[in-house]
Amino acid sequence: MNDEELQQLFARNEHAPDAQARQRALDAALVAFDAVQTEKNTGHHSQGTADYERLTPEQTSHGSKIMNLTVASPSPSRRWVYSGLASAAVLVLGVFITLQVPWQGGTEVLEAPPRADRMAAESLSFQAIQATEEVVVSAQKRAAQPAPAAPVADLMVPPAYYERGRDRFAEVDVNPIKRVAEAPVSTFSIDVDTAAYSFVRRMLNQGVLPQKAAVRVEEMVNYFHYDYPLPTARTTPFSTSVSVMDAPWKAGNKLVHIGIQGYELQSEQPRSNLVLLLDVSGSMNSPDKLPLVKQSMSMLLSKLQPEDTVSIVVYAGAAGTVLEPTAVKDKQTIIAALNRLQAGGSTAGADGIRLAYQLAEAHFIEDGLNRVILATDGDFNVGINNPEELKGYVERKRESGVYLSVLGFGQGNYHDALMQELAQNGNGVAAYIDTLSEAQKVLVHEATSSLFPIAKDVKIQVEFNPDTVSEYRLLGYETRQLAQEDFNNDAVDAGDIGAGHGVTAIYEITPVGSASGVYEPSRYGNEPAASGKGEEYGFLKLRYKLPDESTSRLISQPIAMDAQPSGTLLQEARFATAVAGFAELLRGGKYSGNWDYSDALNLAQANRGDDPYGYRAELVQLIRKAEVAEAM
Amino acid sequence: MSSDLEDRINRAQRGDREAFSRLVEEHYASMYRFAFKYAGNREDAEDITQQACIKLARVLGQFRFEAAFTTWLYRLVVNCALDWQRSRKPAANEEVSELETDDSPDSALLLRQVLEQVETMGEGYREALVLVLGEGLSHAEAAAILAVKESTISWRLHEIRKRLKTMYQPGVEV
Repeated sequence: MNDEELQQLFARNEHAPDAQARQRALDAALVAFDAVQTEKNTGHHSQGTADYERLTPEQTSHGSKIMNLTVASPSPSRRWVYSGLASAAVLVLGVFITLQVPWQGGTEVLEAPPRADRMAAESLSFQAIQATEEVVVSAQKRAAQPAPAAPVADLMVPPAYYERGRDRFAEVDVNPIKRVAEAPVSTFSIDVDTAAYSFVRRMLNQGVLPQKAAVRVEEMVNYFHYDYPLPTARTTPFSTSVSVMDAPWKAGNKLVHIGIQGYELQSEQPRSNLVLLLDVSGSMNSPDKLPLVKQSMSMLLSKLQPEDTVSIVVYAGAAGTVLEPTAVKDKQTIIAALNRLQAGGSTAGADGIRLAYQLAEAHFIEDGLNRVILATDGDFNVGINNPEELKGYVERKRESGVYLSVLGFGQGNYHDALMQELAQNGNGVAAYIDTLSEAQKVLVHEATSSLFPIAKDVKIQVEFNPDTVSEYRLLGYETRQLAQEDFNNDAVDAGDIGAGHGVTAIYEITPVGSASGVYEPSRYGNEPAASGKGEEYGFLKLRYKLPDESTSRLISQPIAMDAQPSGTLLQEARFATAVAGFAELLRGGKYSGNWDYSDALNLAQANRGDDPYGYRAELVQLIRKAEVAEAM
Repeated sequence: MSSDLEDRINRAQRGDREAFSRLVEEHYASMYRFAFKYAGNREDAEDITQQACIKLARVLGQFRFEAAFTTWLYRLVVNCALDWQRSRKPAANEEVSELETDDSPDSALLLRQVLEQVETMGEGYREALVLVLGEGLSHAEAAAILAVKESTISWRLHEIRKRLKTMYQPGVEV
């Protein structure tokens, strides 16, 4: 850091004082002023105007004498004498003694720039910061595994970075109810992200309801794994199951569940070339950020094969490569590099992204997996900080075969919208990691889904049958809406599915003849021509591309009116309904009627099923917490 | 010194409450500006400035018009900042600032880290840094405020430059 940077840093920290604080200080000063005046008046029985001539201050205070003499003596020689005799001498000597530096002769001005070899002798150590970070993390109750014992940090540690109320989410309008007569076709891209659920969980665990824009229904629903039938043949990478059941929150309405299940990776994992792009800016200096990133990344290593390579790029004020591509069998080297990281400086995310892509492209593995994994709190404030520009960059890079995944960390200054956009445009997954167990879910249990795509640009289009359905509404997927004509356009990007991923979409429909609709019947509306397909609610079409292909394939199947689920499928559909309903309640429950948290609780509780990792049990707890938080 | 200010100080010294109040109001912003650069966060800066205002009420009578009032005032604020620094030391760890400057939180954090670094170099360094690079004073002016020789200020800044040169490369230890 040079003079200019320091000056700029100071300048950036200039701002107007708070008016209230100023008033407080003024009041306090006036109180002191009055006290001084009273003392003067009572002590000496003198009044007003002669006060300044009294000798009292000179006799009692050394400070003022020295202050005035050294600073303002008319003759320079006198000034030298006084400063030599008084505190200055002590101070200067003291400084030299404590620093044990040679006496510089006192008069020599050292303005010349220092030589390089002298500078090199000075080095900075921020290990203390790191030590504290680890201490705090190990103290976190939610951490699933104990962190290694860390030494007690010494005192010269800057406080951890905390912020509140600056999380940024893009506002979206809730999907409205549509009339089949006017808009019979609904088109959207799938979404396997789970970030919204983790963020909501974090807020609820703190006893507050999340902001409405943070709740994305589809991400809440897709956080859970559903037991849909696995695809039978590898030629189609996923199976689709459709079921119809009654809507719990509105009598007369039905819910159409569309479940998509990708195949599990059977053969060997493809070789991977991963570039970890880690944000180490000042804002990451918080126990739930950088230390959690380090632990998460170490976990990820356990899911890789020995020949896979990992490299690390960090960015803060500038971007730099910390670790050249290193084989996973050299795990210690990678972990050591991770552990050396520290937080500080501002955030030049864009430079980091560029560098990471360069590195990934330089070591590109044909037929393998090439992926940049970005871990950040999303606060890009240096370099390209225009989201559109960043997006464009990531989008162009996707063509090169390098994918981008985004892992969000931290709270208080979380820029959800940017992270979503980046992941969507980079053919990747956006997940939000709030605890060590979430890191385990995303990077260990679901590593294959997060890492290995089996289909890309997956789009869903549903055409409703005006004979049987009068109104419909898609729950969630607001940010993933596509234009009807884009369904068949292979140039339009959409979401990806990883190995073993499941995706669920739910429509709420009002069958023809049911009184539960919200629209008045149209007085002049044409009677729809009977199509003779009276036993179907609609027709489901799915388009996808295999990861290395550029033309899409089509799957289609009718939505039969009698597709009543049974057994496992019914249980899964009900649980998904509970999650979706809960999410809608958190968003304000515009269409939820009288259905409330306790109904969601009962529905979720009754359909927990197998739940080996306890994720569904956790949802039940969250619904309880939401109930409490709402009451407050 | 403008005669307005001189007049105001004179009247405040004689016990004119109104004049004293005006004096504080006029100088609060610059005192606060310095304090923020010294402390690196809003709360502490406000504390320091408030202490300085109280102290001003007590010691204004000692001001003799032999130095510029701003120089004298700087010295007073520096002393208050030093008092704050000393009282804070034992609990340096726990204190966390939630109020940041609104536009760029990173810069306040970075400033605090720089200040902490400079603080470890010894007494007098932090003041010299803030006065010269933060407030844009000359070495001579800073020397007058801190009651040290000009060359001492130069030396301190030289040492600070050396120390900070290696700091904040791309977030990695060197």
